[in-house]
Amino acid sequence: MMDPILVTNNVLDGLLMGLLYSLVALGLALIFGVMDIINFAHGDFVMIGAYTAWLLAMAFWVDPSVTAIITVPLFFIIGIGIYKLVIEPVLGAEPLIQIAVTVGLGYVFQNIALALWHAEPKSFPAPWLNFSISAGGITLSVAKLIAGGISIISLYLIHYMLTKTKFGLAVRATSANREVAPLMGINVKKVYAITFGIGTALTALGAALYMSWGQTNPYLGQSFSLLSWVIVAMGGLGGVIGVLYSGLIVGVLEALGSTFITPSARLAVVYLAFFLLLWFRPRGLFARR
Amino acid sequence: MALSEWVRESRKYILGTIILVLVLAFIPFIIGFDQYLLLILSTAAIFAVFVVAWNIIGGYAGQLDLGAFAYIALGGIVAAQLLVVYNITPWIGMFVGAGVSAVLAAAIGYPTFRFGIKEVWYALLTAALVVILNNIFHLPEVLGSLDHYLPPANGWYYLKFPVYENIYWFILAMLAIVVFINLWVSKSKVGYYLRAIREDELAAEALGIDVRKYKLEALVLYAAILGFMGYVYIVIAGTYSYHTFDSPHSIAIAIMGIIGGLGSIAGALTSAITLKVVEEYLRASIGATIPGIHLLIYGLLLIIIGIFKPDGLAGIYESLKKRRTSGRKKISGGGNP
Repeated sequence: MMDPILVTNNVLDGLLMGLLYSLVALGLALIFGVMDIINFAHGDFVMIGAYTAWLLAMAFWVDPSVTAIITVPLFFIIGIGIYKLVIEPVLGAEPLIQIAVTVGLGYVFQNIALALWHAEPKSFPAPWLNFSISAGGITLSVAKLIAGGISIISLYLIHYMLTKTKFGLAVRATSANREVAPLMGINVKKVYAITFGIGTALTALGAALYMSWGQTNPYLGQSFSLLSWVIVAMGGLGGVIGVLYSGLIVGVLEALGSTFITPSARLAVVYLAFFLLLWFRPRGLFARR
Repeated sequence: MALSEWVRESRKYILGTIILVLVLAFIPFIIGFDQYLLLILSTAAIFAVFVVAWNIIGGYAGQLDLGAFAYIALGGIVAAQLLVVYNITPWIGMFVGAGVSAVLAAAIGYPTFRFGIKEVWYALLTAALVVILNNIFHLPEVLGSLDHYLPPANGWYYLKFPVYENIYWFILAMLAIVVFINLWVSKSKVGYYLRAIREDELAAEALGIDVRKYKLEALVLYAAILGFMGYVYIVIAGTYSYHTFDSPHSIAIAIMGIIGGLGSIAGALTSAITLKVVEEYLRASIGATIPGIHLLIYGLLLIIIGIFKPDGLAGIYESLKKRRTSGRKKISGGGNP
């Protein structure tokens, strides 16, 4: 029998990770939901973001989460650049072609990282935030608490942007009908570019927060990509709330798999759930329609 | 389709395949049985088998399968364990491995196609399958974290030799068989159904094609071929462990299939052999200073082909042929039926 306090502790930890996953997956959900682009390189943006945060943290000797001030705007611009170069030519192409192109993009990122920084994991050696607080037998990492808090705030800000601003209205209109939106005076190409930029910026934010306690290697993106897609599948096109709940579910599933089976089997638990989800609830758990 | 009819219809391609395989089989004599080069050739040849098998599910049926190593590793590990634990020859074990992989494919494929999962979701599902099996085989009750080795003995009973030429020739024979299976599929009713499904699934279904059944048949056939070849892959790799369930390599197989051109056997063969040989060459020459340079080139190729030439090498070949229709006929391995 498992110690209930340990289980609670791990579930809370899973919830915090889930918040971070939601943040990263929200970028993918925006790109997929608005532009109908199948981006298999999403996790690789997280990986490149993690290396960028690590480089800046080492250069200025600050906690990697602080570097988000630089990496988020930087990745917004990089995202728009990548959109213009690689994504725009395959807008509306067959899914297979989009997958091929973005898998190629991911390969390029991974191997640039491998060439520059080699396969050894990199982490910030001075753990400013990487300490824990305990209360009533529950121990939680401060870095993860901060990451969870910032994730929630960011999710809310995106939700606010989508529902309350004029740009959000343009995004939702484009998502609802990309043929009619331009007739209503919406510059669809601009909406796409900015959406891709925001999606990419979110990966940089997630990556910077993650580097406060985590470590990166060239293949970090693979699990982030798959997990983000699982969350998008679960959230359906249910907006920010759907992504948030799905991220939390994935985080908890991972924690339970890690606790009750072994840490190395945690992804299998999430992906098995993904199989069942696709088979029995293909529209996701939180679909609007 | 009757055998004689098939032979008559695809005579050109069958001849082309036999000539190509004979030429490839002759290479060891030219390179003086250099074992390092033979290892590279064997690796290239086995990846060619994988990519040509992938062509059935990816090219004809149009399902972007990213799970090749789920079936390769499962079939291979079954055959290897049968040999290690019960001393059963891989000549039996490989068929058992193929059967186990086919059963897994059927068990996954039935609900997947039943519930209409396709495109990105199919790709993700198959990618997740590799990770799930990787995690399961990592459990201490299954294979644990250690590398496992085949018995040290060599010989035809073990399909394992101190030199590479025998296994290289065995792979070439398998390559010919898998190309023939592809030709058979492509010329048969099933092949036409599969291509109809790839072009427009709804229209195919409206014409009365049992979409689920033919997709499932394509998947099971693909998985059985991969499961059969799994043991040979382990012989070349030298060891097996949960790492044999390899996600990046599974994606690489799909990439080679796409670069070759969907549904083209000649394209699949060309891209697998060229990319693998170039990969090994780059790894040996500049791989120490720039690790992963070959994969970087894969990635760039994939982006360029995706944007400018979505029908891959086969498309480039076709447009070259069109430009010089009066030119002399070229002999191509396998052809593009």
